[in-house]
Amino acid sequence: MNESTHVSKQFDEDLFGLRTHVLEMGGLVESQIRAAVGAYASGETGVVKDIVESDHRVNAYEKIIDDETVTVIAKRQPTASDLRLVMGITKIVTDLERIGDEAKKIAKGARRVHEHGLPSLPRAADVRHVAEEAVTMLRDSLDCFARLDASKAAAVIHADAKVDSEFKATVRQLITYMMEDPRTISTALDIIWICRSIERIGDHAKNVAEHVIYIAEGRDIRHTGKEA
Amino acid sequence: MDNYLGKNMMPVENAVTNLVPQISIKNLNFYYGKDIALKNINLDIFKGRVTSFIGPSGCGKSTLLRAINRMYDLYPGQRAEGEISIDGKNILAKGVDTIELRAKVGMVFQKPTPFPMSIYDNIAFGVRMHEKLSRMQMDDRVEWALTKAALWDEVKDKLKQPGTGLSGGQQQRLCIARGVAVKPHVLLLDEPTSALDPISTMRIEELIHELKQEFTIAIVTHNMQQAARVSDFTAYMYLGELVEFGKTDDVFIKPQDKRTEDYITGRMG
Repeated sequence: MNESTHVSKQFDEDLFGLRTHVLEMGGLVESQIRAAVGAYASGETGVVKDIVESDHRVNAYEKIIDDETVTVIAKRQPTASDLRLVMGITKIVTDLERIGDEAKKIAKGARRVHEHGLPSLPRAADVRHVAEEAVTMLRDSLDCFARLDASKAAAVIHADAKVDSEFKATVRQLITYMMEDPRTISTALDIIWICRSIERIGDHAKNVAEHVIYIAEGRDIRHTGKEA
Repeated sequence: MDNYLGKNMMPVENAVTNLVPQISIKNLNFYYGKDIALKNINLDIFKGRVTSFIGPSGCGKSTLLRAINRMYDLYPGQRAEGEISIDGKNILAKGVDTIELRAKVGMVFQKPTPFPMSIYDNIAFGVRMHEKLSRMQMDDRVEWALTKAALWDEVKDKLKQPGTGLSGGQQQRLCIARGVAVKPHVLLLDEPTSALDPISTMRIEELIHELKQEFTIAIVTHNMQQAARVSDFTAYMYLGELVEFGKTDDVFIKPQDKRTEDYITGRMG
């Protein structure tokens, strides 16, 4: 990535503004996930309402950034690394917005689980660990974006496999409980949905990392089976 | 892309396999008196493709273009060393007939330069130098050339009027028609739209797209988006050197050289 400045200072400021907004949006969805997972773990579901409401802010960021992107393209006709940055941002923003949606689903799921009471589902259903992995992936992918660090982005992509396998392991365990005691089915399903959301967050973070590699190096590694 | 789309679905021709160099430039140096303006240029310009030359003022792109039809011969003290082969023949060699060469390699300049004569004669003038045509054949040729240059419909009823009476954009298309009329193999365009309004520019760009079916085109332009739009290949030149040459899509999305990147993204002071 080209870090030297443009002849047009205004262009630099436009791009800087865009990047800043993406990072702010990323920070916001990260805090949403943390809050949602926290609500599930602690049972303090009072924050669920806040999380659901803060989704508006995420959506607003998406619209602002899209708008800024269109303006930059119209005014500046970016090329090369600038073009890749702008196009990458439009895609990253979509993933971040969906992460926000998943956070909302986790929050609502947490409320359902706790309102129905946890019928003695053991700690196997503790999703905090896998959630931590997914949040780390997201944070790292945003970090890669901030520094346009393609090699760290590759590490994020690798980490997704771990989140996927933990998700599957949790599902297998929950299936066992459901077979042993059908009364757990309702809650276990809610927990599966929560895990599913966490797993999706990992996927979106992986996408962000893939976009970062495209921005930094111009390589499109999506759907190639290559992990950077 | 090949990984995702089946061969039959590939909408884009495989540009790499169909390429035939029409112009091969080898070890070309160019001098204005003692000053060196082009340093060891090596480049192929492919048949039926548009190749654009971009770079800051004074980088040598126009000099290179003018070497291809030996326009510099007109100026004492300018000389080229090395080789420029067109269809396998070195045009820098001694004894090359420059009149014949310039019929084969037409050129259009930045400012429209219609001759001070009728629209018809602007086209016929060059043709008469190279071919003996009957009146009817000449009429056909003038119509053909003006049609190729997308000007026929606008001037067919005023062929006897002076070419200088046309608008700037029309004059430039007249110059292109004039270049096309002698049926060249190559068209050299030196900033052909820099004096034109946006609509006329679009017309010329559309024309370039049409003309490349029949002619090999090399274009010098300061408008980078124009290079991106019209050309198949792009050459970036800086300080008399060819810094980067590649498929236009690659150059504008992922240039290999930092100097190219800095130039096309507007980071060069």
